[in-house]
Amino acid sequence: MEAIKVDPLTILTTMFILMVQEGSILLVATLGEIFTERSGILNLGVEGLICFGALSSFIVYYLTGNWIIATLAAASAGLMLSLIHAFVSITLKANQTVSGLAITILGLGLSSFIGRPIALSRIRIDPLESVRVPLLSEIPVIGPSFFNQNPLVYFSYIMVIVLWFILYKTRFGLNLRSVGENPSMADSLGINVFLTRYVATSVGGALCGISGALLILGYYPSWYDGITAGRGWIAVALVIFSSWNPLYAFFGAYFFGLVGTLNATFQSIGFRAIPTDFFRTLPYLLTILVLIIFSSTRFRRRKMPASLGKPYTREL
Amino acid sequence: MSLEKSRRSFLRDTAFALGGIAVGAGLGYIAAGGGQAPTTQTFTKTVTQTTTQAAAEKKVVAGFVYVGPVSDYGWTHAHDAGRAYAKSVCPWLETKIVESVEEAKVQGAIETLIGQGCNIIFTTSFGFMEGTAEAAQKHPDLYFAHCSGYKSGAAGNAPQNLSAYFAEFYQLYYLNGLAAGAVTETGVLGYVGAIPIPEVIRHINAFVLGAREAAKARGKNIKVYVQWLNAWFDPEGANKAATSLVENNNADVLAFTEDTPTVLQVAESYQKKGKKVWSFSHYSDMSKEGPNAHLTGQIVNWGPIYVDFVTQVYAKSWKSVDIWARVGDYMPYKWANLSNPKVEYEGAVYLAPLNPVIPENVRALIALRWQQMKEMLFEPFTGPIKDMDGNVRLKDGERATHDILWNMDWHVEGVETPLPK
Repeated sequence: MEAIKVDPLTILTTMFILMVQEGSILLVATLGEIFTERSGILNLGVEGLICFGALSSFIVYYLTGNWIIATLAAASAGLMLSLIHAFVSITLKANQTVSGLAITILGLGLSSFIGRPIALSRIRIDPLESVRVPLLSEIPVIGPSFFNQNPLVYFSYIMVIVLWFILYKTRFGLNLRSVGENPSMADSLGINVFLTRYVATSVGGALCGISGALLILGYYPSWYDGITAGRGWIAVALVIFSSWNPLYAFFGAYFFGLVGTLNATFQSIGFRAIPTDFFRTLPYLLTILVLIIFSSTRFRRRKMPASLGKPYTREL
Repeated sequence: MSLEKSRRSFLRDTAFALGGIAVGAGLGYIAAGGGQAPTTQTFTKTVTQTTTQAAAEKKVVAGFVYVGPVSDYGWTHAHDAGRAYAKSVCPWLETKIVESVEEAKVQGAIETLIGQGCNIIFTTSFGFMEGTAEAAQKHPDLYFAHCSGYKSGAAGNAPQNLSAYFAEFYQLYYLNGLAAGAVTETGVLGYVGAIPIPEVIRHINAFVLGAREAAKARGKNIKVYVQWLNAWFDPEGANKAATSLVENNNADVLAFTEDTPTVLQVAESYQKKGKKVWSFSHYSDMSKEGPNAHLTGQIVNWGPIYVDFVTQVYAKSWKSVDIWARVGDYMPYKWANLSNPKVEYEGAVYLAPLNPVIPENVRALIALRWQQMKEMLFEPFTGPIKDMDGNVRLKDGERATHDILWNMDWHVEGVETPLPK
């Protein structure tokens, strides 16, 4: 069988459109987790936060028809759930891995429970419409993919810059990073470690909630169990992949987004040398690979917030 | 860190972990219990009344083992609608469910249901087959019915207290194909397939046969491209496959086998942007998901089949059967529509509402073929049929047998994407 004839530019454009769709969902969650981890708090509840945020935005969008209110609802849903994690890991100083996993279970369970009548009633919403950016959307390949998307995708681009600016160019960002590196030193300099960590965890949780809003309002406008499909875990791996830097997260998220389109793309052109199953496992394979490469001690010492996952107790 | 301190922190961690698990499990339990609410329906109880006279059992307790959650968008949801329907028309019926059961854990779920007093157990996933057959062997005094497998007393490869049942869609896919061939402008159709097994291949082929027939009447040629997901539930993959079929291959009608309405939603979003792309319902009526893009589609109603089985237990008239419900099966009665009592449909499988965009003459053809298939006067797989490599698979006038349909591992002429090896 000969290959199916498709224009290469069309193939590339389609890949990029799908890459931005999936990548943006991952990007917002990754940004949130970076912000949290920079303050020294490891929140493995991302999957649960995305799911709960998705459900909240779906319900509010259905009731109000206003995507901004729906997105704010998703953000507050993520924020509230992550406050539980903050309380347990900052105030009670419990094991953050265990607490994060519990947040995932809680978020998924709560969404499944609250969402059940919604799933059974089969209510639906209209997905957000794309807004074309004048001029920029005329660029081949990049235009239709990056600059003809729904407003929440544009929000994700802006957040990359905003978070980078906060972390590296403001006093608060400096404080936040120092709390993540050496909390007792930061404390002795008069920085409120607990407050900083609470703020970082809540903002991170809110962003994860918004990632859920982007997922459901943008591309999958109906509610059913399992809608997050493990994206939260990929976001957790992407944090390491992007060395806890919002700018690198931009490339990391879209790289994973691009890898996710290979299956459909190769089938489009009739390239069959690599079986479909391989592509299905590829994102997870990459995740493991990333973890292996980036867990070398030299890398960790240089990039990872030094007191990540360690509760801070004030010495008197 | 002192020993005292580390012990305290250990206790705190453990307490929190247990708390988290308890909350999660508790919610899961409530969620599982919440699905029991029966839907209210109006129905003329002709079936049950006739059987009540010969009643012997006082009460039938039916247990259902589901592979997914009731709140999924396709398979399990449809089974649970069938269960609710059976419960609503059989006043002597009590039902119990276990959701999201892993395939390896089917026996445990069955034993749980038996412990709760069930006298008939339905298991609704292919992977549950072996476990169900073993349970049937172990409990000869109880009844079992397994969906989508090939083991039953009737087939001779399992005990007599086990029946098999399945609802077959290929005839409906053929009708979908007629609709697709009548509306396509590009002459290119796309199919998002779950897993390349004979069932799905048969559905693709039937779809292509219908599309070619309708397109030929318009003097058009048809090309069909297939994208495989290798999963039954994969909204992300379905979105990418559907988008790629439209963008890369220029398809304007998308059929699919996947357990979410994603492909239809993709078609709908193209319609919103002013591009005519069409899609279908799968398992249940999804016309609300694509008010503009929804052409028609295949819908299953497990209700009549479940009523039949539980009535056999109630009337003590059990006989192992191997049901393969097609168009025309389960037709002796008029069955009320589950969601809309005003609409009546017939049988275990039926067609979703037809979009007015389908031309009048093709709608008439669809109605004609439906009637013909009901009476076995027409079979989509009737020769001459060539496969995509040009080999004759069915000779002129030859009808595909059950075996040919069940073991189909080739694509008909018109499919451009070769099957995965």
